[in-house]
Amino acid sequence: MSEDPMAAAGTEPVGAKQTYILFNVAGTAYAVPSQQVLHMEMLEQVTAVPNAPEFVEGVVFSRGQVVPVINLRSRFGFERTKVDLRTRLLVVQADGRRVGLMADEAREFITIPDEAIRPPHDAIGGLSGNYLDGVATLGDRIVLMLNIREVVERAPTPAV
Amino acid sequence: MSTPDSRATFAAGFMDDYFAEAEEHVIAVRRSLLTLEAALGSELPAAVLEDLFRSCHSLKGISAMVELREAELLAHHMESCLRAIRQGDVVLSTGNFDSLVNGARTLEGVIVAHRAGQPLPVTDPVLAQLHALAHGDGGTAAAPIALAPVLRLAAASPSPAPRWKVTFVPSPALVVRGVKVDTIRTRLLQLGQVTGVAPKVVAGGGVLFEFEVETAAEEQLAALRGDGVEYEPLPAAVAAAAPSLESGPGTRGTPDQAGERPHDVPVAASANFVRVDLERLDDLMRLVGDMVVTRARLEDTLQRVETHVPFHEWRALQEHSAGIERQLRSLREGVMRVRLVPVGEIFRRMPFVVRDLARDNGKRVQLDLVGQATEIDKFLIERMMDPVIHLVRNAVSHAIETPEERVAAGKSPEGTIRLSASTAGESVVLEISDDGAGIDVEAVAARARASGMAIAGGEIDARTLLDIICVSGFSTRDEADRASGRGVGMAVVRRTVEELGGALAVETRSGRGTTFRVTLPLTLAITDAIIVHVGAHTFAVPQAAVREVIEVEARALRSIERNELLTYRGATLPIVRLARLFALAVEARTRFHAIVVGTGLAAVGLLVDRIAGQREIVVKTISDPLLRVEGISGATELGDGRLVLILDVAALSRALRERAKQLEGMSA
Amino acid sequence: MHTILVVDDSPTIRRMVRTALAGLSDVTFVEAGSGLQAIETLAMQPVQAVVLDLNMPDMHGLDVLRFLRSHDKYRSLPVMILTTRGDATSRDAALEAGASAYMTKPFSPTALMASLRGLLAVTDPARSA
Repeated sequence: MSEDPMAAAGTEPVGAKQTYILFNVAGTAYAVPSQQVLHMEMLEQVTAVPNAPEFVEGVVFSRGQVVPVINLRSRFGFERTKVDLRTRLLVVQADGRRVGLMADEAREFITIPDEAIRPPHDAIGGLSGNYLDGVATLGDRIVLMLNIREVVERAPTPAV
Repeated sequence: MSTPDSRATFAAGFMDDYFAEAEEHVIAVRRSLLTLEAALGSELPAAVLEDLFRSCHSLKGISAMVELREAELLAHHMESCLRAIRQGDVVLSTGNFDSLVNGARTLEGVIVAHRAGQPLPVTDPVLAQLHALAHGDGGTAAAPIALAPVLRLAAASPSPAPRWKVTFVPSPALVVRGVKVDTIRTRLLQLGQVTGVAPKVVAGGGVLFEFEVETAAEEQLAALRGDGVEYEPLPAAVAAAAPSLESGPGTRGTPDQAGERPHDVPVAASANFVRVDLERLDDLMRLVGDMVVTRARLEDTLQRVETHVPFHEWRALQEHSAGIERQLRSLREGVMRVRLVPVGEIFRRMPFVVRDLARDNGKRVQLDLVGQATEIDKFLIERMMDPVIHLVRNAVSHAIETPEERVAAGKSPEGTIRLSASTAGESVVLEISDDGAGIDVEAVAARARASGMAIAGGEIDARTLLDIICVSGFSTRDEADRASGRGVGMAVVRRTVEELGGALAVETRSGRGTTFRVTLPLTLAITDAIIVHVGAHTFAVPQAAVREVIEVEARALRSIERNELLTYRGATLPIVRLARLFALAVEARTRFHAIVVGTGLAAVGLLVDRIAGQREIVVKTISDPLLRVEGISGATELGDGRLVLILDVAALSRALRERAKQLEGMSA
Repeated sequence: MHTILVVDDSPTIRRMVRTALAGLSDVTFVEAGSGLQAIETLAMQPVQAVVLDLNMPDMHGLDVLRFLRSHDKYRSLPVMILTTRGDATSRDAALEAGASAYMTKPFSPTALMASLRGLLAVTDPARSA
């Protein structure tokens, strides 16, 4: 049909896009595919779990299940801050596990075209660079595409 | 490539479901027929006819699926009659009504006989009768015309009730509360007539449902507002509307309900099953759990008001509360028993899975099922279905060798897979074994090391082997196998088992075969626990593990090196401060409580700030790897929204004994 | 992981369909007992294929199918019609309404599985099913 080089390469037709949930951690915008997010809640009481890894804030009771909560600020090497009314818990699904991600703020559902996403640049320093699938540029916004699996995998060295 | 044989074998595994569902439809048919009979002499309610038609249609469908021809034919003929009656091609009279009744009776007889393994009743005469009725030759001239009233279909007369447009927007939040489109529809049917329903897509991709409802009960509509429902009035309907399409259990052609028959509907004697929706059982269990929590709160309040209430009143309250506790315990046990279902339900489906896979893989496999009558909680059955299927699939695809390979190895060309279930104390043990090639442990270990996993050198034990093969994405084979779900599947199997509070183990012998063993708790856990406070933290300690609770003065503790001891009952009791164990903020105290766990030389006292009381708790297991903390086994909700961690006393004791041993070694 | 929605007012048939498809890899199942429930479920979660009965109490399967096909979101969702009626008219009606596949009951479990395998592979070329 057309001479579109992308089509010839067998890739997705131009225009493919997916829906993501956008949230903020320490001033930076992140996105995860909305399909992986089971639900979002305000953060209420988190029960601390002693001797759990540093970035595990604790556990919550969500939809009848005990769900671990990962403090993304801590996970990415930022200082913890107080929980406030804007703090959000995103309960995600990865590998059959249900894990909660604690973000400063969760704002919106957006659609990002596949072509707006580039592989993560080496120049993105800091811990969060390890957890990225890519970087998306939307107009003048930069959004980091989070790899949930990397985020929820337990650190190689056990905490205890 | 389906043969009638393979279809029949497939269907044979669903006979229990068939009988249970068929029985419901048969009961509905009887009810409809009785209502019709009672309506003889006046207008025939279209809704009842519709119900009857639908029941017959469903019976036809499922009977066809399980290859019960006789039932299918009978249902089909009943359906044809009803269609003809509905269309007005045939008029129903007392003369030909009997044909319908005979049809229904024979249909029921066929199903009951099949279930009992007895010869089926003769069906030809009844089929002929029904056929005659459907084609308009029906109607015996048994009764004189004057006494044979002709029944006509009643068109739904324009209802005097006001009409509304009721909009329902479903959402995950409502689903969690059990509010879905079918529950809303059922409620609307109880309020009046539903004359139409249409789904609509809304911006953003969601949907909403628009119902047209006729009801005088506006306040009840208003009450639905909290459940995602909005409503607004519609202009009155034009006269002579089409026959009402909707009817439900609550409005079986409402005007007719007044004359409902006084006599009871005798149900087929063979009813020893009750089909229960798993969701309803879940609701019941949740309710029981809630009641446990509420009673605990009641208990708390009673303690608080003790000094404000006259003694004998308070005593009476206490007794009532204790009575409730006893009854709750029985209720809980009763509900749990209802949920027990034979494991055979999972096993029965396996032969089909095995046959298909064996054929695809060019293997010959025999399946042995042992212990099918072993009962486990229905919830566990539902969750274990997929994991067991996965293990069986793995066994057929990967463990059992081809017939040639087997013969070359001196085995019979046909491999055997054995599924067995048995109870052991408070647990159920499911085993999936094969007599195949066994897991190549060395290859697995080598592959694991090569891919960077940290494995100790030398032989690996069964636990490590299981850990390796359960790592997501791990596989010793190539991509083609990965496509069959190996690796990913095992991780999910293990996770499912652990989430259910169980354990997975593997045993394998090279060349001889492999066994996967799943151990599951018999029932879901509600248990007694002691609630303790340590600093700002609260924990629950399972009562069963506690020998004693004692008060301890700080100055009674002796320190030796970094450990504390208490002289207790003439012996020294090692003391462990939970605060220290869990690295919690400690405040200086002069007084503590100690929970004594273990006996004799293994006894240990766990030091806490104070005991907050005893409670029954609903145990939620913790299985996520991020939460693998030694000494914590689960969590429970204390009823005020707080999630409290449950101590794993056994693990704690073990760890403490280890430390004590080291200590002895050092001080010796 | 692919999700298959099984829609039939008979719990027995839903079970049979699930079991017949148990051999597919990487699939999980969701059930609905009526047309309305099916639509509600589709709105709440992503589904990769649907097995749809026709004769259901609240909304006929063909109406469900037409509703789905008239909206972008579900235009290319694979829908297999699985129904008791076996005549050519029904089949034509189903195909005209946009059915991706059509099968009658009683069904052959092997044939059902092969069909679903094909339908899933179409929407997910990476899937070797």
